[in-house]
Amino acid sequence: MKCGGFRVSYRADERIFDTYTPIVALILFLIVLGTVPRFASTYWLDVLNRIGIAVIGALGLNILVGYTGQISIGHAAFLAVGAYSTAILEVKAGLPFYLAIPVAALLTSMFGLVFGIPSLRLKGLYLAIATLAAHFITAYVIIHWEAMTNGVLGFMVPPATVFGLPLDSDARIFYLIFALVVPATLFTKNLFRTKVGRAFIAIRDRDVAASVMGVSLFKYKLLAFLISSFYAGVAGGLMAHHSRILFPDAFTLLVAIDYLAMIIIGGMGSILGSIFGAVFMTLLPEILKLSATSLTGVYPQAFGFIASTRDIVFGLAIIFFLMSEPQGLARIWVRVRSYWKLWPYSY
Amino acid sequence: MSRAYGPLVRFLLVGVLASSLGVASVDAQPSIKLGNLVDLTGPTSDQGKDIAQGRIDATQYFNERGGINGKKIELISVEYGFQPPRAVAAYKKFVEEDKVLLVLGYGTPDTEALRPYITKDKVPYLSGSYSGHLTDPRQTPYNFPGGIDYTSQIRIFLNYVKETWTDTSRKPRVAFIFADNAYGRAPIESGRKYAQEIGVDLVDEEVIPTVFTDATSQLLTMKKKDPDFAYINTNTQWVPVVLKDSYKLGLKTKYVINNYGLDERTPALAGDAAEGVIGIQDVAYWGDNVPGMKILMDFHKKHHGSDTHASPYMRGWLWVIVAVEGIKRAGDAPTGESVKRALESLKEFDTWGLTPPFTYTSEDHRPTNRARLVMIKGGKVVPMREVSVERDMKWIGK
Amino acid sequence: MTDHLVFMLQLVITGIAVGGVYSLMALGFVLIFKASSVVNFGPGELVLFGAYVSWATILAMRLPLYVALPLTLVIAIVLGLVIERGVLRPLIGQPVISVIMVTFGVASVIRGFLNMTWGSDTRPFPVLFSQQPFHFGPVPVSPVHLWSFVVVIALLAAFSIFFRFSLTGMAMRATADNQQVALSLGVSVKWIFALSWCIATVVSALGGIILGSVRGGVDFSLADLGLKVFPVVILGGLDSVAGAIIGGVLIGVLENLSGGYLDPIFGGGVKEVAPFVALVIILMVRPYGFFGKVEIERV
Repeated sequence: MKCGGFRVSYRADERIFDTYTPIVALILFLIVLGTVPRFASTYWLDVLNRIGIAVIGALGLNILVGYTGQISIGHAAFLAVGAYSTAILEVKAGLPFYLAIPVAALLTSMFGLVFGIPSLRLKGLYLAIATLAAHFITAYVIIHWEAMTNGVLGFMVPPATVFGLPLDSDARIFYLIFALVVPATLFTKNLFRTKVGRAFIAIRDRDVAASVMGVSLFKYKLLAFLISSFYAGVAGGLMAHHSRILFPDAFTLLVAIDYLAMIIIGGMGSILGSIFGAVFMTLLPEILKLSATSLTGVYPQAFGFIASTRDIVFGLAIIFFLMSEPQGLARIWVRVRSYWKLWPYSY
Repeated sequence: MSRAYGPLVRFLLVGVLASSLGVASVDAQPSIKLGNLVDLTGPTSDQGKDIAQGRIDATQYFNERGGINGKKIELISVEYGFQPPRAVAAYKKFVEEDKVLLVLGYGTPDTEALRPYITKDKVPYLSGSYSGHLTDPRQTPYNFPGGIDYTSQIRIFLNYVKETWTDTSRKPRVAFIFADNAYGRAPIESGRKYAQEIGVDLVDEEVIPTVFTDATSQLLTMKKKDPDFAYINTNTQWVPVVLKDSYKLGLKTKYVINNYGLDERTPALAGDAAEGVIGIQDVAYWGDNVPGMKILMDFHKKHHGSDTHASPYMRGWLWVIVAVEGIKRAGDAPTGESVKRALESLKEFDTWGLTPPFTYTSEDHRPTNRARLVMIKGGKVVPMREVSVERDMKWIGK
Repeated sequence: MTDHLVFMLQLVITGIAVGGVYSLMALGFVLIFKASSVVNFGPGELVLFGAYVSWATILAMRLPLYVALPLTLVIAIVLGLVIERGVLRPLIGQPVISVIMVTFGVASVIRGFLNMTWGSDTRPFPVLFSQQPFHFGPVPVSPVHLWSFVVVIALLAAFSIFFRFSLTGMAMRATADNQQVALSLGVSVKWIFALSWCIATVVSALGGIILGSVRGGVDFSLADLGLKVFPVVILGGLDSVAGAIIGGVLIGVLENLSGGYLDPIFGGGVKEVAPFVALVIILMVRPYGFFGKVEIERV
């Protein structure tokens, strides 16, 4: 059993996994995941689908906020652009989904580029506020450009068809979603093995020093926005296909805050963190709902009381994680894992 | 080692929550399950609280009397914050896990989002969204709006304008003021057409945002067109802002407000500005002299007497009463389809006097075409007269 | 006066009046930032708290006004202390994003707590101001707005004097400038933080009372108005009290002018988004606002 990392060649340094065990475990995991739709209920498939979409979105946001240090509260706007673009391309331009989603994602990344421009002048707090404004402006456009988006009345999306088979149930959409989650995760992991990824991290840590060293802030900050919005565009496109009807209400500021909570609770600057955060934030309301429903069965009059605990639990979860474990669930996972690995020498 | 307690505490918390999942007793007897969607934390939460309370109370009332055909009613309630994705998720659970017979929906976003699903799954949907789009069984066979639809209401308004207009030198001028969301916009298109049809001049349309504190600029713009009447299509919590700003500006326009915009609370919320304002009443107000009112008031007093009880509370009861009747008529082994047919057999059904009698047919899911005009006089809501519009099939589904 | 001029004048004056309310909300934000460099992303919820508590003390508990209002302010002070002590203090030194998210978390908890205690339906707000409008020439202004303006100007004067001349005020400015040096000079930074949060919650509570009176009722949507604070503070400068006032007025006027002139063209909604468009423009041109302190980054 290895203790510590002994990498003796450049090639070895680049590897994601040191031994074959994790790779085998991962492949088995994916195979099991693939069999889930056969016996899970629609409800749980719906939850898993939403987790998958959230993972892609969270990865994108983490690239921007966690790895490059650019605070963005505009993620909901990017998701909206991705979702509506996909829907409009399919309905009005007749594109099939396997073209509509990538094209929509490209459109979203252009959009992200535009919103990345303030990041060249603004930092931290001011950038956050600028992205907040971007969110409201986008929301306005979506609600009022009725010719394209149907505004508040909702935009219906026909199901994607694969070789004539419509993907109109949660079980079928599951495959599409997770077929995209895997490459998204892999791409992110690889991104941070390359020059681009390292440039992002340098910008986050000390951007003035990075630019002195030759990292072009202009190019890499915009690239971060571009890539992050691409992910959001893909996630948005999947949302369009999953829920099949788009409302501006589905992309409120709360959604952006939810995603930020995902990466903070999960762990900023960590891929595993994005995944954990996405799972946590999607499951939290479901668990609350389940306990609310079962408690209401016993105390029907307490329904209002119980329902309002959602906000409290959400707020407390954020506060708690930020206070006790700022690096999130990923860090806890690492600690648990190393505790097991090194037991009984866990000091 | 204080760091180690963190995970332990978290684990315990999760454990407590998880164990609460098992708290609900598993009933050995069959029960009738109804899905219940409510907004308690979102933009219409002011209505949601009373609606939820009304539904819970009504269910308890019926259960105390043996349920429906001997089976207890189980209300499975989910709070969805007026966000369509959460409504869809809740619905999927209702249908797959809980196997509900009927869903008590809430408002326009959830009803619109779930339309394709309920048609496919054959689940009757009794909703608080009275949008005209939901009244045509050819398009939405399983939707049953729980009250007079918005399109009929705007027609009532325009008819009222036409009837009370005495100046023969010109046509009456009207304006629409509506909220910037699906609910606010629902009847506007039909309103425009109908105004044109009956010869009323629609001179202005003002959009108010979903959340706002000041409508002065919109009212100033409207003032330029000088409408004689204006129809406000938004909720009770927002209407007072419009009324107060109008009062401040000294506008002469007379206001008529839809069923969700004016109720017992309006005089208190709008003060002097509410004098002379007219509303369309779809459901009884608290304390009205109708047969069912005593039952509601007694129940409310017995279980939570100090709590609020505005008209949404009555609506909560109303929809459960209608649902229960539909399920009762469907017999001993009700299915979604049989309940739908049973609801469509309701003819002049007496809803304990809380509303005009309900009639659904297989061609027309508009429950009623009658309402009452009320006016705020001396700080109180006073009934004016009963009104009705024709059940014109031209306006169905619009 | 021609009709056009009257129309514009009405919009401008209404804008100034409404802007007074925004200024009040922005003041709470600026005070926190000025002393502790913490950005509060939940200003709406603090205002909401003030509105509900004042409703509860005046209507639900039926206390006379001269008891209810001070009681509301005292409760607001307690809230400020709780927030600062419980949540912000452990996070000193953490990156900006953590602090921002924590304020979201706090806002969420306040919201949930209010929902749980008083429920979500609209409660009529006690009538504290008459409804008869004042007339400025052809323009009617409601007394509530007038009073909020008066309160804002009074606070501006009070705080200017406070920050300029009083020892505590100077200590606050010193802390905002450089915490370490302030500590070395004997300023109790912990106290300063607590004080700034308390002042902010009190001012927000006043804002809540005013907002409740304007709306005629309290309910949860009041909190959504909180986000309007950002265009105001960016325009005026995140740490400038005068800037908050002027920014509030300007944003109010901008809103109403765009509502009056642009809404009919675009079919509504411009009024709400105009402040944010202005926000973006200002951020590009003059990020520190009119009166804000320019931050020089030291490496």
